[in-house]
Amino acid sequence: MLCQHCKKNEATTHVKTMINGEYAEYRLCPECAHELGYDSMFPDFTADFGGLLGSFLSAALPARSGATHCKLCGSTMNDIKKTGKVGCSECYDTFFSELMPTIRSIHGNTAHIGKRPVIEYETVDDKPAKKQGESLDALKAQLKKAIEDENFERAAELRDKIKEMEA
Amino acid sequence: MSEAVVSTRVRLARNLKEYPFPIRLSADRAKEIVEKIDAALKDCGIRFHRIDLGAVSETMKVALLERHLISPDFVRGQEGRAVFLSDDNSISIMVNEEDHIRLQVIRDGFEPDEAYEIADKLDSELSKKLDFAYHEKLGYLTQCPTNLGTGMRASVMLHLPALEITGAVHRIGSNLSKLGLTIRGLYGESTKPVGAFFQLSNQVTLGISEKAAIANLKNITTQLISQEMKARENLLSKIEVEDKIARALGVLKTALVIDHSEAMSLLSLVRLGVASKKLSTLSTDSIDRLIVEIQPATIMTKYGEDMTPQERDIKRADMIRERFN
Repeated sequence: MLCQHCKKNEATTHVKTMINGEYAEYRLCPECAHELGYDSMFPDFTADFGGLLGSFLSAALPARSGATHCKLCGSTMNDIKKTGKVGCSECYDTFFSELMPTIRSIHGNTAHIGKRPVIEYETVDDKPAKKQGESLDALKAQLKKAIEDENFERAAELRDKIKEMEA
Repeated sequence: MSEAVVSTRVRLARNLKEYPFPIRLSADRAKEIVEKIDAALKDCGIRFHRIDLGAVSETMKVALLERHLISPDFVRGQEGRAVFLSDDNSISIMVNEEDHIRLQVIRDGFEPDEAYEIADKLDSELSKKLDFAYHEKLGYLTQCPTNLGTGMRASVMLHLPALEITGAVHRIGSNLSKLGLTIRGLYGESTKPVGAFFQLSNQVTLGISEKAAIANLKNITTQLISQEMKARENLLSKIEVEDKIARALGVLKTALVIDHSEAMSLLSLVRLGVASKKLSTLSTDSIDRLIVEIQPATIMTKYGEDMTPQERDIKRADMIRERFN
């Protein structure tokens, strides 16, 4: 049998893999197998991730709920499941509850505690003020949002900041 | 550390809020993003050189990959993909790879803190000009949920010949994933280790700060190196191994034609010999530089893109002989 990739050499390697949750088989010649990384001595952690994510999502999601399309990019939950890739930043809000089980299975039940974007200072009445983020009202709004999002580490951090500012 | 650590890389994944991620991005909007980032980089204090992937040869792209300036996926460069490189190639910014921005800093040796510091500073500059997609709970939003949170991947390129020869690398690989780390081949995702060079990187990005992830990487790297050193001591007490290393140097000094994989295996042995003070020839740093220069596409971009594989193997042997003699 000829190699299914180059269609020139005799196939000697039989590859069984999962692509986007679908089982697939290939017959490859040694050169193509090497080129495609199928002779790697390590299991491939990421190339088939789409498949892994797809299957996570299907397992976690017997039924879709809420919005059917993302307003910004038009993705449906099915699109995300198929590719294992999220369509845009808005999708994370639109499909938040559908995506959470997958995110938890990758990272654990946790919330972000690292860097946040730096927001440029804007001068208002000759007084530097942050566009958002550092004023007391903004912090209180963020606290409310953090509690809603069940991001308690962040909420505690904000609570301390507010206390400090009010003191 | 230099006995086993070749280089360190830190990369940050960022996306612009108002655009779909690359998977759902039209070519026109992708080009808009390239221009936006180009403009934002203009006054960030560092000079960048822009390469539009659609406008360069296949060989050129592979040469960028060989130097870890772009990813394997990015080689399939279509319109609307570009990479910005700093003058010394220590910073590369891939635009519209898996995310809108993949900012990467490479340093020689074991310098994760320094690499992160540079990446962090540039990222802060960019975030003043570009509206990054960010979520209170999920951190920086990325196309693939595996990168959510910090969007940071810190990695060290390690030379682990003794752990490879003894087969210990396999066992270590499965233990590492429990510690939130991954070990991969030379060119990253889904590639085969070449010449016992491996990349160790953090896997988890959500719920761990950049500093903590780097501290973890440093800690595990140190442990891995001490295991490698123990294995080397054991290995090098055998005359057969020392003989193999000495012969490797002999071949490198005299060969007239040498393919990439043979050269890598021999250089790997010689590097081991030098690092263990069994050989006195080039320093490990010079060997590491040579390893970069003798890669197929890197040779071709320097000496002619129409070279045949045999001409390339002859050129490679010339370069190696010249350096070692």
